[in-house]
Amino acid sequence: MNMKLLSIKNLNSGYGDVKIIKNLSLEVNKGEVVSIVGANGAGKTTLLKTISGLIPATSGEIWFEDQRIDNLPPHKITELGIIHVPEGRRVFPFFTVYENLLIGSTMPRAQKERKKNLEYVFNLLPRLAERKNQVGSTLSGGEQQMLAIGRALMGMPRILMLDEPSLGLSPLLVQTIFELISTIAKEGITVLLVEQNVRQALKLSDRAYVLENGSISLEGTAEEISNNPDVKKAYLGL
Amino acid sequence: MDIVQKKKIGLIVIILAIALSIPLFVTKPYYIHVITMCLLWAYLASSWNLFCGFAGQLSLGHGIFTAVGAYVTIMLFNDFNISPWIGMFAGGAAAVLLSTLIGYPTFKLRGAYYALATVAIGSGVMVLIENTMTLGPFHVGGAEGLIVRLMGNAPAYLQFMSKVPYYYLALAMLVIVVVFSYWLKNSRLGFYLSALKEDEDAAAALGINVRNAKLVAAAYSAFFTAIGGVFYAMLIRYLEPMAIAGPMMSNEMVFLAVVGGSGTVFGPVVGGITLHAISEVIQFYFSDMAQGLHLFIYGLIVVFVIMFKPQGIIDILQKYYNRFLGISDRGEDESSVS
Ligand SMILES: Nc1ncnc2c1ncn2[C@@H]1O[C@H](COP(=O)(O)OP(=O)(O)O)[C@@H](O)[C@H]1O
Ligand SMILES: [Mg+2]
Repeated sequence: MNMKLLSIKNLNSGYGDVKIIKNLSLEVNKGEVVSIVGANGAGKTTLLKTISGLIPATSGEIWFEDQRIDNLPPHKITELGIIHVPEGRRVFPFFTVYENLLIGSTMPRAQKERKKNLEYVFNLLPRLAERKNQVGSTLSGGEQQMLAIGRALMGMPRILMLDEPSLGLSPLLVQTIFELISTIAKEGITVLLVEQNVRQALKLSDRAYVLENGSISLEGTAEEISNNPDVKKAYLGL
Repeated sequence: MDIVQKKKIGLIVIILAIALSIPLFVTKPYYIHVITMCLLWAYLASSWNLFCGFAGQLSLGHGIFTAVGAYVTIMLFNDFNISPWIGMFAGGAAAVLLSTLIGYPTFKLRGAYYALATVAIGSGVMVLIENTMTLGPFHVGGAEGLIVRLMGNAPAYLQFMSKVPYYYLALAMLVIVVVFSYWLKNSRLGFYLSALKEDEDAAAALGINVRNAKLVAAAYSAFFTAIGGVFYAMLIRYLEPMAIAGPMMSNEMVFLAVVGGSGTVFGPVVGGITLHAISEVIQFYFSDMAQGLHLFIYGLIVVFVIMFKPQGIIDILQKYYNRFLGISDRGEDESSVS
């Protein structure tokens, strides 16, 4: 018995006249970790931006439980609990760690629980607690990624959408970030993970979609995808 | 109260005492007028900064708001005898409405749309005024401009024979806009504005209603700017479309704020006072040499400051301020000036 949390039907979107996402459909069930993997330029970031309302869908539908959310502005979408950790972390460089976390909880739903959530984030990421009053730009890449994830957790996500959280990190830090995602998922938060690091992403996912040129070329359980000969050749270097 | 706190309050008291006693020492009306204009430009630059500086948005058309504020107020006064003290709120409201009409469609889009819209609408408004002689029951005056009906010494109608009341009014306005800037910067909205200034997409993805935040801040800015226009009208007693709505008015606000330090509370104040004072001096000495020479020199100064101190003059003062307070240059208390 799966409960659909997010479902996308025949979605098209892009930038101006440039079509990037073409007729894409996918589903994420409650409690799942779902990966979208694909090469650079496949349209992964564009897809997440469309879901969070940063760019408009040109056609198709996006549903969150029983509410249609394409056409909603971004702040309404985050208010529902769809929280997007953008590619390249995008921590606010002049804000302190503490301020960066506060700005993750501006929506009414999360504002009320701010204190509790701060405690939760500092517990989960003690490195951030130590650097509470340091400004964002002075953090290392790994710390910035942790902050970006912590900031998203402050918004009490019902689904957390991560755009290439491992990008540009050393192998050791990549490990740390993926463990963090695992921990978050185990606490019951649904995760939609976008990655070029296919091997690592599949390891912690329940299901996965392969995105090529803006469309889904393959979908299945993480195991099926990792055993697929084409995926092995194209993405796992086997 | 610790020593830093005491020093800060001491500094404010000294500056205010000097400002309040200037008319006791400076008695020539011409000089009082020039100093009043310095304060007015500091006020206008601060008003521009409320939105454009704090949110990092470029408006090249804030002259629209000085013009709308001034024209609405003066028309109500000339034709319906409504005191400018009351009319200014109608002028401010008209500016807020106009700001929202410009912002609503353009804040939805990324990029230079807002800046372009302000340029286009700015010159549009000027041409519109220049070509309108009457508007319903109101006399607008077209390109000839609009003369403020004179009433002699009539404080209830914001008219004074002496220059001194205007000076104190300008000072009061400047204090109000500075206090408001300080409040705004430290408010929740100010927090959102600095986030979206940094990274609009990231702010939106975190649930900040970017368009609303911009609309509200732009409305504050338009209102304060309009009141500045009203003051200008009452001081000069004559509205010329080119002067009140033209590109000089709009650009000057941007120059003063940027040279002083846009996005800070005191930058536009420092920029407005020093740069306007410099421009007056240049004009005084160079205006009969060659036509436009004073503008050229003024432009050079603006370019040099922007090249060598992109954060504005306030950046230099900050260092001395911190030293005065006895805190390190990257002091814990930067927020109080910046
Ligand atoms: N702002 C933009 N304007 C126009 N095209 C863009 C923009 N951003 C990305 N693209 C194009 O969209 C395609 C997909 O990009 P993206 O979604 O970033 O892919 P991915 O995240 O999978 O690497 C690429 O061809 C890219 O050049
Ligand atoms: Mg991407």
